[in-house]
Amino acid sequence: MSDAWEPKILAFLCNWCSYAGADLAGTSRIQYPPNVRVIRVPCSGRVNPIFIVEALRQGADGVLVSGCHPGDCHYLAGNYYARRRFALLQRYLEYLGVEPGRVQFSWVSASEGARFAEVVTQVTESVRALGPSTKLNINALKEQV
Amino acid sequence: MNALPDNVKQAIAGWLQSGEIELFIGYEASSLPLQATPAFVRKAEDLDRLIWDATCENNLVSFLKQFRGKKVGLMVKGCDARALVGLMREGQLVRDNLRIVGVCCLGVVDAKRVAAAAGQAVEELDGRVTGTDVLTADQHLALSSVMHATCAACRHHNPEIYDILIGEPVADADDDPFDDIRAVEALGSAERWARFEHELSKCNLCFACRNVCPFCYCNTCFADKTMPRWFTATAEPKDIQFYQIIRTFHLAGRCVGCNACSRACPQGVDLRTMLDKLRLDVWELYQDDAGVNPQGHPPLTTYREDDDNSFVL
Repeated sequence: MSDAWEPKILAFLCNWCSYAGADLAGTSRIQYPPNVRVIRVPCSGRVNPIFIVEALRQGADGVLVSGCHPGDCHYLAGNYYARRRFALLQRYLEYLGVEPGRVQFSWVSASEGARFAEVVTQVTESVRALGPSTKLNINALKEQV
Repeated sequence: MNALPDNVKQAIAGWLQSGEIELFIGYEASSLPLQATPAFVRKAEDLDRLIWDATCENNLVSFLKQFRGKKVGLMVKGCDARALVGLMREGQLVRDNLRIVGVCCLGVVDAKRVAAAAGQAVEELDGRVTGTDVLTADQHLALSSVMHATCAACRHHNPEIYDILIGEPVADADDDPFDDIRAVEALGSAERWARFEHELSKCNLCFACRNVCPFCYCNTCFADKTMPRWFTATAEPKDIQFYQIIRTFHLAGRCVGCNACSRACPQGVDLRTMLDKLRLDVWELYQDDAGVNPQGHPPLTTYREDDDNSFVL
């Protein structure tokens, strides 16, 4: 069973940049690990920190949030607000003892299909190295039984 | 137990009689030893009930959410006054509606520590406070040895805003207020998780931390929301961790470090080292200290183009 373990990664992608970047990676036939489950959000600023903690609780091994590059937000400043929240959240979760690397952030534009593939590869490999998430994961107990 | 000084009583009486305030919130003796209880006074003749001493542990600012838009007077310690400032910055309070009696505070008594020192239950204590001395039936303790742990870490003994001040300003230590947070940061990831898990294993979800927090003023807390239902109160440690992580994170950039939550916790959960981590990071990243400036914007409601980007892939 442990041989078959693959990391489950939840990705929140903003509609205007990173989701379109993922789309471009697909239409360009660029290969990237199939471990990522995408949720499209209007803006990285839409991502409430509770979504990220809830994802870890529900059994995600990693969470990626990706939005437009700073300065390129479709709503002008959504990613700037998001950046402050995420900086604090990432530091906070790591302080509490969640492994560094479980929660990651990136900026990927609509023209960066190759970059999207790189980011997903990088996140997948770092989460794979961490192994299955047990902290906060409400399903971890059941899986052990 | 000290009655309020005459000049303070006269001032409050004047505010009540002139209609500048309709209610004054202070402290009075309670039926429990070494713990004053909040007192709500609407008539000048009741002011004699009010006291101020080291048994007045509650942050009375927390009650203001029940009196929105009303003209209210209240007593604040240094830590409590910071909560007033933070709430003004969030547009929750108007200075003109408030009459503030500030008190310079040396720390408040933790009745549980006194009980432990006396080898008695809290309810059995025969204790009283005179100045900085805590007297029990057969012991004479220094306040500094039995005050709340949060008070030992206090760097804000004197109120920043007030209309009248009781007592002489106390010197604040000018050392690093976050040294214990840095000590936790220096631990390994697994050690920090073990520490966090252990602390929260004491939590029984009584929600006292939320109910006393001056900044927990949401009409419906995420923990009570049913659409969507984020949180279900169970004995499962991971549910408790989820609640505490989210509630504390909702205070990022807002918590002023009054530590009313830690003092209210009946289980002695160390919430201060969670919230102070957020305060430390907000200071390091955005040079903001909630509770200092009633103008301006809370750090998570604003941004700078050159904010730290180093954590992004």
